[in-house]
Amino acid sequence: MALPNTNTSGVTAVKRLRLWYALLIGIVAIFCIRLFYLQVIRYDYYRTAALSDQLKQYEIPPSRGVIKAYDGSSVLPIVLNQKLYTVYADPTFIKNPEQVAEKLVPIIGGKLDDRISQLKTKKTRYVILAKKVSPAQRDKILALQYPGIGTETHNYRTYPQGSLAAQVLGFVNDDGKGKYGIEQALNKELSGTPGQLKAITDARGIPLASSKNNIEIAPQNGKDVVLTIDVAMQHQAESILADGLKNAHSSAGSVIIMDPRTGAIKAMADAPTFNPAEYYKVEDGSVFQNGAVSNPIETGSIMKTLTTVAAIDQGVVNKDTTYSDPGFWLVDGFRIQNVEEEGGAGTRSVNDIINLSLNTGATWELMQMGGGKLDAKGRQAWYDYLTKHFLLGKATGIEQGYEADGYIPSPEDNGAGINLTYANMAFGQALTATPLQMGAAISAVVNGGTYFQPHLVDSTDNADGTTTKTKSVVKASNIIKPGTLPQFLSIMEYSVQHHNFNPNFDTGKYQVGGKTGTAQIAKQGGGYRDDAYNGTYLGYVGGNDIQYVIVVFVKEPHVGTYAGIGAAQPIFSKLAHMLIDNSYVVPKH
Amino acid sequence: MTYSSSLAMNRHRFAGRNQNAVSFRVTERTLGPISNTIILIVLACLLGLLYLTQVTKTNAYGYQINGLQEQQTSLKSEHDDLEVASARLQSLNRTQDSAVAKGLVSVAPSDTVQN
Repeated sequence: MALPNTNTSGVTAVKRLRLWYALLIGIVAIFCIRLFYLQVIRYDYYRTAALSDQLKQYEIPPSRGVIKAYDGSSVLPIVLNQKLYTVYADPTFIKNPEQVAEKLVPIIGGKLDDRISQLKTKKTRYVILAKKVSPAQRDKILALQYPGIGTETHNYRTYPQGSLAAQVLGFVNDDGKGKYGIEQALNKELSGTPGQLKAITDARGIPLASSKNNIEIAPQNGKDVVLTIDVAMQHQAESILADGLKNAHSSAGSVIIMDPRTGAIKAMADAPTFNPAEYYKVEDGSVFQNGAVSNPIETGSIMKTLTTVAAIDQGVVNKDTTYSDPGFWLVDGFRIQNVEEEGGAGTRSVNDIINLSLNTGATWELMQMGGGKLDAKGRQAWYDYLTKHFLLGKATGIEQGYEADGYIPSPEDNGAGINLTYANMAFGQALTATPLQMGAAISAVVNGGTYFQPHLVDSTDNADGTTTKTKSVVKASNIIKPGTLPQFLSIMEYSVQHHNFNPNFDTGKYQVGGKTGTAQIAKQGGGYRDDAYNGTYLGYVGGNDIQYVIVVFVKEPHVGTYAGIGAAQPIFSKLAHMLIDNSYVVPKH
Repeated sequence: MTYSSSLAMNRHRFAGRNQNAVSFRVTERTLGPISNTIILIVLACLLGLLYLTQVTKTNAYGYQINGLQEQQTSLKSEHDDLEVASARLQSLNRTQDSAVAKGLVSVAPSDTVQN
């Protein structure tokens, strides 16, 4: 029996295997070529296409710094951040607007008809139904599960103390920028630096951790700021100012309480005020301005305090000096006279210049600076004191938006009655200064001669948890000689003791001094109004040393007497008594 | 030639001297090309599977991190809300309007204690 020939079938099998093998190699080769084409040759195209879909870039907004203030010795937040929600609708998805509106109105408010018309609108696919909706309201809205109704998160500033210190604080607009007040002045520090997230994400936008090219830079949050303001003192100052303006039938005013030993502002109130959480409801933008720093005024007779300081400091007068007052001076053909009833001709003292608010006396002091007459020497000396000792004519640098410089005319003879201008400047007309500049200048006098830059920031909290205490900045030293202060304090206290305060101050325990001002208001185009005056008061209160300087400004009061005495002095009186009664002032011991 | 004679001839080829000696010829058993290819493919698949496992595991951690971050954000938001509520409760207006404050009597201090 012959054996079967197996060689033929073996060859065929090998051939078949080789064929399959070749086919497999061919298929793999096709795949490789295709992959090479897609992944190498078309690399840039597909990478770009993929990244455009998968790579997400987000800016991580930083938290804006919190603003705090003192409540006695502890610190209280007065401006915080709160996450609130905007409710919006896409009307194309809303099938039954009436039913949706009926459910929404009890949650977000508004009129039913208005809501229905909003939900029916065809003009846009994005209708804002409510802003600043709380998390609880948002949860209720989302629980309704209406298609086309959604919420967006927004960070808002919130003010637990309401409108307290509104102008000092300012507000943050919809673009996240600080406007007015501290918010504007310290916008950079409060804002922080945004972070960045660049990552390959999944379909839901969640970053995939496996991507080695992910970039995540954490945001640098804004610094928290602690103000020098004492909230209780601020609250009372605002109350007293509001009452004082009401009694004086005035529409606006400002008060400042500052510590002359450091330049720290303890209270700074301005009226009328506003709610910074609802700044967008304010119609008159001037309300946003902090008048105490942004509103330069012809100060009126409170300037006589500085004129007297300058004259004493130059040694041309002292507190016991008397002079023969003619009742008026003729300067450049104009008559300078007094408004007080007691201001006629006679022998007057330096005490009288302040106590009776003698314009002729202040002019006489200016004359003494020039050697007995109104001349270039006297003008230059007065100008130097105003600008180099009291630092008027330029902003103090306080942390507030829109601080004004004020205006001090040059002493150069411009051929337009410079002597008349300077005579007026001696009693607070023809120049301008803000209440803050006046407060800072008199602070430098009553602390013995150191001009501290007025400031509102006590300290800043850094991101690393450390706190940076603000150091008092000395802008000028030795602005008065050592012997000037006791004389000046004596004159100022004489003035207070000879004015009516109800109740009077206990001079055995406290030092209280002050000066009224009734300022003429310049008209546009020249001259002064004869139907209205501003009332001002510049004073201080203390024990062994002067602890608080108080500045009051009342705009165009209607009090039937001089604006300084009738409108500003009562406010000063209440503020000084408030400081004493609340034990803010350490008495003499 | 029959099958048995063929075997005999083959056996005969090794008959001779040293026919009982141990053969020193090394028998090399190599894998064929198909086996090689299959093994390579399997290895590549295994490597791919390993890579995918690791990537999936890493991404799972990513989701876990994302979840924790969301939780952190939510807690921070809650903390902020509580801080706001606390500050509101301490506000001067609220204190002033409280029943306790309305029952207080305003007095001026008669003296100040000095330390």
